[in-house]
Amino acid sequence: MLAQLAQLVIAGLTVGSGYALVALGIHIILRATRVVNFAQGEFVILGGLLAYGLVTTLHFGIWAALAGATVLGFAIGLLYERAVLRPAARVGELAVTIATIGTVYVLLYGHALIWGSLPEPLVFFSGGATDLSWQILGLHVAAQQVWIIALLAIALAALWFFFERTTYGKAIRAAADNPLGARLVGIDVDRARAISVAIAIALAAYGGTIVGPITLVGGAAGIAIAIKGFVGAIVGGLESPLGCALGGLLVGVVEKLLEGQFSYEIADPVVYSLLLLMLVVKPAGLFARPSAVRD
Amino acid sequence: MLARNDATLMQAGTYAAIFAVAAIGLSLLLGNVAQISIGQAGFFGIGGYTLAYLTAVVTWPSNVPGWLPFVAGTLLGVALAAAFGLLLGLIALRFRGHYLAMATLAFGLIVVGIVRASKPLGGSVGISNVPFAHLGSLTISGGAAFWYAWAMVGLTALLTRNLLRGRTGRAFEAIRNDELAAEAAGIPTRRYKILAFAYAGALAGFAGTFFVAYLGLVEPNAVGVSLSIDLLLMVVLGGAGGISGATIGASIVGITNLYGHDLENWRPVIYGIAVIVIVVAFPRGIAGLFSAGAAPKSKPHETDGAPEIMPPVAAPPARAQWLAVEHATKRFGGLVAVDDVSFSLESGTLTSLIGPNGAGKTTLFNAITGIGRVDEGRIVVAGEDVTRRRPHRVAALGLGRTFQNARLFAEMTVLENAVAGAYLCERAGFFADLVGLPVSRSDRHAARERARRVLGRLGLEPLARRLARDLSFGERRRVELARALAANPGLLLLDEPAAGLNAAERVRLREDLRALRADGITLLLIEHDMRLVMEISDRIMVLKFGKLIADGTPARVRNDPAVISAYLGTAEVSM
Repeated sequence: MLAQLAQLVIAGLTVGSGYALVALGIHIILRATRVVNFAQGEFVILGGLLAYGLVTTLHFGIWAALAGATVLGFAIGLLYERAVLRPAARVGELAVTIATIGTVYVLLYGHALIWGSLPEPLVFFSGGATDLSWQILGLHVAAQQVWIIALLAIALAALWFFFERTTYGKAIRAAADNPLGARLVGIDVDRARAISVAIAIALAAYGGTIVGPITLVGGAAGIAIAIKGFVGAIVGGLESPLGCALGGLLVGVVEKLLEGQFSYEIADPVVYSLLLLMLVVKPAGLFARPSAVRD
Repeated sequence: MLARNDATLMQAGTYAAIFAVAAIGLSLLLGNVAQISIGQAGFFGIGGYTLAYLTAVVTWPSNVPGWLPFVAGTLLGVALAAAFGLLLGLIALRFRGHYLAMATLAFGLIVVGIVRASKPLGGSVGISNVPFAHLGSLTISGGAAFWYAWAMVGLTALLTRNLLRGRTGRAFEAIRNDELAAEAAGIPTRRYKILAFAYAGALAGFAGTFFVAYLGLVEPNAVGVSLSIDLLLMVVLGGAGGISGATIGASIVGITNLYGHDLENWRPVIYGIAVIVIVVAFPRGIAGLFSAGAAPKSKPHETDGAPEIMPPVAAPPARAQWLAVEHATKRFGGLVAVDDVSFSLESGTLTSLIGPNGAGKTTLFNAITGIGRVDEGRIVVAGEDVTRRRPHRVAALGLGRTFQNARLFAEMTVLENAVAGAYLCERAGFFADLVGLPVSRSDRHAARERARRVLGRLGLEPLARRLARDLSFGERRRVELARALAANPGLLLLDEPAAGLNAAERVRLREDLRALRADGITLLLIEHDMRLVMEISDRIMVLKFGKLIADGTPARVRNDPAVISAYLGTAEVSM
């Protein structure tokens, strides 16, 4: 019984890492531009597919594909900010929200045009077509699960270092928190926003690649990942990066526990009800300071 | 490519009509009330599943007429969808912008999740074998379905038009432009937002019922997020607000669906791109392209030569005492903005509230009008304790106000602003407007007439057709006064009415204020223009750091040492 629960928690942390990366991306874009990017989950799928393309077509190794997808994600993020978010922001908040929803369609059906509508398997990070796995204390642990959690931790550490410890990262935060003040001290706010969006999309591509071997890449999974990422962000607290990461992991664990203990059908409505419940009861999220909510 | 047979065309037209019904509801929500929803498919599903359950799952006694299950399913489906709309509206009051988008998205997902998990509703397979609808001997399929669906659009369009032309539509418009100002004009903004959600929900439910009856089955995927997004795209594509844009959007999507098999996944990709382009470049949608010439134009009116000051439009309501403030205290964190202030106003007098910037004058106004609540003390308006009341309920007692920065309804004309101000003098309720009862029309005429007369009285008639956003600052202030007067208030709170006025406007304002006092209106002004204050006030109260430091006739206050030091003796010479 306990072993079974622990097994479900491990599985939950694995899928939850994907949600956490979506939630973090949403947080970064929200913070920089005051926009919730409804298409964040689609960029995760796109990232996985880019890595898949690099591996199958250009014969990259999986680690090179991870780096390649992340870099491509960054470039796509710059384009996305310039072509969609920035022009729509000039019209108004409602317009940006709708534009990001329009982007969901472009990406969701766009990648089906290129890669087909069936999900494809991505090679495992160690072991290629089949994954290594171990029995530890009666638990089945796959190498990819370890990689996912480790790579999430590395991403979190890198983001923390960038935003907290580098001058450039601090300038971006300053631009987000006080655009006028930042302009006065010579920070290019538009560029800071563009970089933030690019980082968020790079993160999505990175996330899509690391969870890809387990979730498969492509298909119609994007909406579900996007929405569960949202739930994670709301549960943890949209305004808090750590809250987003923890919220995403929590949603993954709750989902797997519900699926394992009750039924597959019950998990989704419960998780989505959690979203509505959190919005109504504690919109700041579980892990955020109350003062962090602005809207 | 156009070689399609009539049946296929008819089918596409039928679906276009069904989606148009749901899209009109969302269009009203998005375009007229500025509330987003990505959960409309949830209501569509509630309507559809209700009909499917009643017609295909429930066993009816054999003596029941054939049309009854369909009619019962339709009515119950619409009613349930409306009820859930009320519920979502209630939740939606807490959110705006992207939070609202997420909450509505969650609602749609929960509906799909529940039907998928529910055995009686067929789980992930859904309910099939839904019989064709029968009305008497007529089977509603094929051509009949086409006409039935477009009759639904006709009915929806008629009801929606009625609603938008009535008092409800004017309230929506005011809310969309400036929620706070609408509330201060006596419009119960929360109730209208909830009603808008319920109405949009009911229409989506209505569409869902016939969608299922026509298709003959319903399954969870058909009422999922992508339908919600489709509906949103239709509305944005066609142009949000009113009827035509939504119908155009639904028709475009319906027609492209006809060629859906040729386009496959290109279709949603093209929608997505089209929506981004439209939202950025043509925010008013395709309908906006056609009606661009019909947009309200700002042009001066020709008539002139109105008498300088006309008689009042109607006698203001009489009360022994209009306003009493008892020990009001308001804190912002550690700052005491209003500190134990007490006063009452004598009816039919003009009192000015003066004091340095930051003295707490506007905070006090907000507390009186219900916009910000006091932490301690009591506010009594027209004999009723309003300390915890919402602004529109305080306004309904006969209190009108203007704002320091003149919050007009920017996208409306001057006349429309004044008409919106007359909200409290109208009587038509939501359902009276919906079905177009005579009261809806008589209200419309009465409100217009009243607004014209108020504009005439203040000499603003030449501006009547100008858009509020095109006015000068001084004009805005005077139009705001007209909007407040249109409600026939007994107590009027004006926040810096003379700020930004030129010399001629200032003189006009002085005479207007005197005339209003002569009508019997009780006036309380915040004003920095000392000459005006001294000229017209019966009484002056001075506020400093939240405390009343002087109170009396102009002559007395002018010579009060505490006042002189407040204005001249300390560091905060801000006037």
